[in-house]
Amino acid sequence: MRSLPLGRLLVIGVAAVALALLPFQLSGFHQTQAARVALYFVAILGLNILTGYTGQISIGHGAFMAIGGYTTVLLSIHQHLNLILTLPVSVAVTFAAGILVGIPALRLSGVYLALATFALAVSVPQFPLKFSKFLGGSNGLRTTDTPSYIWLYGVSWACAAIGFVLAWLLLRGRIGRAFRAIRDSEVAAASSGVALPIYKTFAFGVSAAYAGVAGSLLVLVTNGYVQPGLFGLLLSLQILIGAAVAGLGSLYGVLVGAVFIALLPTVAADVPVIGSAHGQDVVFGLIVILVMILLPNGFVGLLARLDRLFKTAIKSDPKTS
Amino acid sequence: MGMKGKLLAVLAGVAIVTGIAVTAASGAKQADPGITATSIKIGGTFPLTGFASTYKIIPTAENAYFQYINDKGGINGRKIDFKIVDDAYDPSKTVPLTQQLVEQEKVFAVYGSLGTAPNLAVWDYLNKRKVPHVLLATGDSYWGFSYKKYPWTIGFQPDYPGEAKIYGKYINANLPSAKIGVIYQNDAFGKNYLAGLRVGLGAQKSKIVSTQPFDIGTPSVQQQILALKASGADTLVIFATPTQAIPALVLAAKTGWNPESIFLSNVAAVGTFVKIAAASGANVNGMISAGWLNDVSVPSLADTAGGKLGKDILAKYAPTLDPTNSLTFYGLADAWTMVYALQNAGKTPTRAGLMRALRTMDPTKAKNPFLWPGVTLQTKLQGDNFPIEQVILVRWGGGAAGTWAPIGKVQDKVR
Repeated sequence: MRSLPLGRLLVIGVAAVALALLPFQLSGFHQTQAARVALYFVAILGLNILTGYTGQISIGHGAFMAIGGYTTVLLSIHQHLNLILTLPVSVAVTFAAGILVGIPALRLSGVYLALATFALAVSVPQFPLKFSKFLGGSNGLRTTDTPSYIWLYGVSWACAAIGFVLAWLLLRGRIGRAFRAIRDSEVAAASSGVALPIYKTFAFGVSAAYAGVAGSLLVLVTNGYVQPGLFGLLLSLQILIGAAVAGLGSLYGVLVGAVFIALLPTVAADVPVIGSAHGQDVVFGLIVILVMILLPNGFVGLLARLDRLFKTAIKSDPKTS
Repeated sequence: MGMKGKLLAVLAGVAIVTGIAVTAASGAKQADPGITATSIKIGGTFPLTGFASTYKIIPTAENAYFQYINDKGGINGRKIDFKIVDDAYDPSKTVPLTQQLVEQEKVFAVYGSLGTAPNLAVWDYLNKRKVPHVLLATGDSYWGFSYKKYPWTIGFQPDYPGEAKIYGKYINANLPSAKIGVIYQNDAFGKNYLAGLRVGLGAQKSKIVSTQPFDIGTPSVQQQILALKASGADTLVIFATPTQAIPALVLAAKTGWNPESIFLSNVAAVGTFVKIAAASGANVNGMISAGWLNDVSVPSLADTAGGKLGKDILAKYAPTLDPTNSLTFYGLADAWTMVYALQNAGKTPTRAGLMRALRTMDPTKAKNPFLWPGVTLQTKLQGDNFPIEQVILVRWGGGAAGTWAPIGKVQDKVR
């Protein structure tokens, strides 16, 4: 991904125009559905930076989303801050939280890191129960005002676009090379002069900041209502599933992963068995297994395969040669 | 543009088009959402799966009653079309599913949705859109007290604090030296109950020697039961749903603790569940709770006209349900109230008309046959937004083959 080929630029351009025109075609309900796609896009993008590019697994991104979500609601209640201004604060707070988690995580790798982040996902939603006076307990809190549908759509997709461009800028250069070097071999990266502690904690911070914005947006899409159940373990797993479906280590598949996890609950609502809330959990599980067996590189891996197939087909066709 | 680029472009295009197709809006516009010449569409969210899925009996029984009404000709010729959707008691699912009901399905009203937190999550949204949010399956007092700010919302069952107040008064009158240990769900549901108990005890609230909260979805309440036992309490008060109340009863017996008196919140006092607890070794004889439904498992109510009608309807339209499980009569009573309100919401029902009908229920006309005889439906436009405010204390007898039996008479104004 050193430079943007014309083709990709065109794709991005078409997507941007489509996204700008889409709200005029959509009802309010579908605008919020589209906003959900955008917020999962941001969350998966963030996880992909950490897991896909830097090789550090996290099953705990729901925890960072919770921190972001509660930050937004608390700022709205106590500071009467405009909702859009809560987003940068959420970024800063979750970036700091990510760095704090990243430091002890330096000593862990592989399955141990997965377990540690798993613990994070389980423990963070307990805080609102423990400090229920301030954080609302299991009945939750709500923002003082709720955003309109078009606001949700616009802000979510703006966040997604900014997040995508920043991720691209970050990953194409020196930092991205260092991340990938760490993923491929920590020993080799260190011996080529990559400062492991700095890059790894930085990756955690950046990734958490993405999750934080996504968490804030998730709360706003949920009518500005936050309660711990919103950030259950399943959310963390869904983000990871989205990243796996998208293909770890690629930015382009993220949209597919986001569409998948954002729309399954309402699209499948009328389907028997699958439509039930817990039927969907089974579907998510099955999809992960299928993706792991059939598409180990996710959606992007599928594209690459089709591409190869296409090329061999063209080569064997005498007319085009 | 490289081959890979083209392929990407095609696939991105496909993805976007699919997205639009999947989310394509239906263009039809109606003056009265959900009302046609032949139908009334309503919908609600319920936990059909997950830890609270025992409550799926309620919407099934509600739908049975609506089918019964439809077969009798419906409401002024309109058949009720009831959409039941599954939110698994998860507010983050309740929100998009409710939006879907209102904006895609275009329901006339959101009816019967179950659970406090799920309903809190859509409370603002439905009131801003002026969509009726009615006869909710939750006994919190918010719905009744906040009618000025949230005029489109109304609850149904007696509220939790009122019920707990009666337990407090009963303890003061009958158990003067009680040492009370309370186990309660650590959210508004449990805390409202606890607050009501304190009000009922009044000056004697120091009788409460220990209160043990548990979080919803917790795997075991053993720790809380052991703490209550250690506190020296001789009266156990359980403010929980069956999911934790039944294990609490069983654990108390298993740990060798036999409190002299037990009080069980009405939401957990379903005879079917108490029998399960008794069969698992819990000592349930003499346990006290509150009733307000026409519970056909109570011998004195089995042959009332309402009890018979309910059993007939369930046998025909929901044969898998057991009428002695009082959740079925919860559904029937709630659905009866909805049908009554729709019949009084105007010849062509309007949303404002429905709210008005629900807010002006006259106990001499709104005679719900599925409530405990003597319990009535009553609301007033200004000041009374609680449809049911009466309960009767009941005591369990007969162990695993037992039933509830009434103590005294129906008590008024429990709030």
